[in-house]
Amino acid sequence: MQFQDAVKLSIEKFLEGKMPTKLAEVAEEGTLFHTPEYFDQLEEELLGEPVEKDKGEKDEK
Amino acid sequence: MRNSSPIPGANLLADTRNYAWHRPPDIVDYDPAVEYIINRIDDPFQSQMVIAMLDIDAQVSTIVSTLLLQAVSTGKMPIDLAIIIAGPVARYVEIIAKDLGKPYEMGVRDKDEIVITPTLLKQALGIVEQEEDTEEVAEEPEVSPQAVMGGLMGMPDEMVATSEEQDEMLGGADAPETDPMVEEEPEDEL
Repeated sequence: MQFQDAVKLSIEKFLEGKMPTKLAEVAEEGTLFHTPEYFDQLEEELLGEPVEKDKGEKDEK
Repeated sequence: MRNSSPIPGANLLADTRNYAWHRPPDIVDYDPAVEYIINRIDDPFQSQMVIAMLDIDAQVSTIVSTLLLQAVSTGKMPIDLAIIIAGPVARYVEIIAKDLGKPYEMGVRDKDEIVITPTLLKQALGIVEQEEDTEEVAEEPEVSPQAVMGGLMGMPDEMVATSEEQDEMLGGADAPETDPMVEEEPEDEL
């Protein structure tokens, strides 16, 4: 797998709402700040339009 | 003969600080790494480059990998962390593209995308292949050939040799009167 392929896969997983859970455990505060929800909120603030919620909800199930 | 290969142990004497990726990276955590890339995108020169790449219909994944490779090559972050933060960076570039009203393409496989396979195409076109006979022909069980009874090569009725025959086979029987090894030489009449 090349770097470009790995980047694509990582983007795909993030857009599905998946986060590296083990990474949060070793984070300083125990949680990650730049989550999919954070970017949804940022988009809503910048663009003023609600973001499709199906991305995160499907993953939570 | 000239030996051009390095001397064993030469790597221990080489100065490995020449390249940025030989040194420990500056950023090793997730959030600071994302923040670093976002700040770089917000930089006026870098944002112009991102916008220009969006204008030439470059995919978001291509833009992200370009930004991340720059960070890796300058020793800012390790390559594995760069791959991990690709998602948030792509999402940020997507928000910028939406904000500017630029058409963009993420460059990743859509989860709702239907992969066209030959079977799917045949079904769509109504080409139905005749199903192959899947009924397996019941194989007849192998029957061991019946023992041929009688005849020259037939199995004897009684399988157990008599004690006399066994003695004879084991050499316990009385030696024959004539030694079989000594053959009578025919008299040469000539």
